[in-house]
Amino acid sequence: MSFDVLFNQFLSGIARGALLFLVASGLSLTFGVLRVLNFAHGSLYMLGAFLSYSIWKWLLIPVYGFYVATLLSALAIAGIGLLIEYTILRRLYARGWPEQLLATYALILIITDIVKWFWGGEFLSIPRPEPFTKAVFLFDFPFPSYNFFIIILGLVLVFFLWWLVYKTRLGDIIRAAAHDRDMVSALGIPIPWLFTSIFVLGAFIAGLSGAVTAPYGAVALGMDIEIIIECFAVVVIGGMGSLPGTLLGSFIVGQVYSFGIMYKPELALAFIFMVMAIVLIIRPWGIFGRPER
Amino acid sequence: MGYFREAGKIGMKANNMEIKTSWLKSSWWIILLIAAGIAAPRVISEFYLLILGEALIMSLFALSFNLLFGHMGQLPFGQAAFYGLGGYGIAMLLTKYQINFWLSFAAGIGLAALAGLIIGIFCVRLRGIYFSILTLAFGQLIFVIIYKWHDFTGGDDGIQGVFPPEFLKTPVSYYYFILLVFCLAAFILWRITNSPFGYILKAMRENSERTEFLGIPIARYQLVAFVISATFAGLAGALWAPFYRSVAPSTLMWIKSGEPVMATILGGAGLFFGPVLGTFIITFFHAYILGFTHFWPIIMGALILIVIFFLPGGVLGFIKEKLDNRKKKEQQS
Repeated sequence: MSFDVLFNQFLSGIARGALLFLVASGLSLTFGVLRVLNFAHGSLYMLGAFLSYSIWKWLLIPVYGFYVATLLSALAIAGIGLLIEYTILRRLYARGWPEQLLATYALILIITDIVKWFWGGEFLSIPRPEPFTKAVFLFDFPFPSYNFFIIILGLVLVFFLWWLVYKTRLGDIIRAAAHDRDMVSALGIPIPWLFTSIFVLGAFIAGLSGAVTAPYGAVALGMDIEIIIECFAVVVIGGMGSLPGTLLGSFIVGQVYSFGIMYKPELALAFIFMVMAIVLIIRPWGIFGRPER
Repeated sequence: MGYFREAGKIGMKANNMEIKTSWLKSSWWIILLIAAGIAAPRVISEFYLLILGEALIMSLFALSFNLLFGHMGQLPFGQAAFYGLGGYGIAMLLTKYQINFWLSFAAGIGLAALAGLIIGIFCVRLRGIYFSILTLAFGQLIFVIIYKWHDFTGGDDGIQGVFPPEFLKTPVSYYYFILLVFCLAAFILWRITNSPFGYILKAMRENSERTEFLGIPIARYQLVAFVISATFAGLAGALWAPFYRSVAPSTLMWIKSGEPVMATILGGAGLFFGPVLGTFIITFFHAYILGFTHFWPIIMGALILIVIFFLPGGVLGFIKEKLDNRKKKEQQS
């Protein structure tokens, strides 16, 4: 096993981790503020991927249409998020979490059927956009340059969320609401408005991350549950609702996945779970999580 | 711990007396239902008999789920793994190694119990939503292993030719076998929930911190409950495989794990027979709907939302509430 093979695998792991961070950060942000685990986050991601494909096809700009389609589908998913929060979740905040979980589970069933209805069960894909069409050679190994796009997007999102959560007034409210929701409400902050905007932001990130997976050529039914399971591993390892935890968790899961695939492809997921089990034995709340009562 | 056990026993004694006095009054409908179950093959067509058998197996699955959800207050979302392992255990031993049916049947249940023990050790460290996530993740892990290990498990082809012994081969005889196992298993589960052990589970549901301060090792109790639940889920799976003559990886999938959750919420989690009622409604409704459309999940999703919004206690909870209200009114007047 030479250095260049390992380096290549490491970079693939970074790209995988960046994609996981894109999806898991929205999940974690929503959970951190609303205390609602959105099971349907993966379904919004899947819907975003399918929507971006259809928008891209409809636009007839094969080269740069991808960027437009990505933005439009993310906005559309944000709109669907608004609809879901306003009509369903809002009525359930006062109820127990099992009902909230079940409601988002119902959304998985509904969204899956809608996707099946409109797009059928085929694999769809968008060609890689300029300037990320070619492979880059690193130590004589071809590495898809599109992966760099994903990594850059992941980094941009990290900085955006860090800025949002730690440097803005909304961020102060977000952190305060995650800590003590009643106190924030008592200080005159409109909690329903806060919850709606955070859920819509989470949905936007889900749609965006789904849209950018379209050039990987894996837009198909079932991609929702596949990613959400790995995202659960990410947030369990890193700690639910924690931004640094999600980042670290994505990095770990991406690396374990990438090297696991090299070693034994069938067991890649099993390796992730082994890491998760070890973390749970040492820190049941995840590396950056705090105990929940 | 000893103190609490005694307290539980006292609670049970009081409860037992209550049960004895109201036994005839409240259980006439159970006897009626069992009689209806025995008479069913003479009354309904073979098609509906098969649906009825399926409903009984799924009811057992939902009851095993509700031991953790309704009685212990934790929501496992990976129960299909144990259900599927029960089915795969019996199917693989029967078809690949030609082992005796009853031994395979027991081994399937044992396999589910063992998996429940191993997964449970990790899962009972967590509570609430974290517990749900972790059980879902482990359930999906088992699905992926069986799905991808094509050489050993048949992958997405599943396993065909899982035949019951000669005397259970007709639909009617296998139906009676299901009915017998269901009644026995439901009775055992009912006894468990009304034992000191069951009361400790309920205490954990109401206030786990206080229960812990009473000296109850809650993680250990949770683990035992988890293994019992996995065992009965495995029993349901082991009943299913010879009934359907095959198993497929879809029996282990997360969507299967959602079925007992839906059935329990629909029927009412707070009552022992809630999950059974919910399962019967869903199974027969499903059989009816499939005559019109393939888009069953969207209907199911809408149904869940309707139940959450308009029937918070489930159908049985709703009926019980109405009956209680009527009793109150009678007492007042």
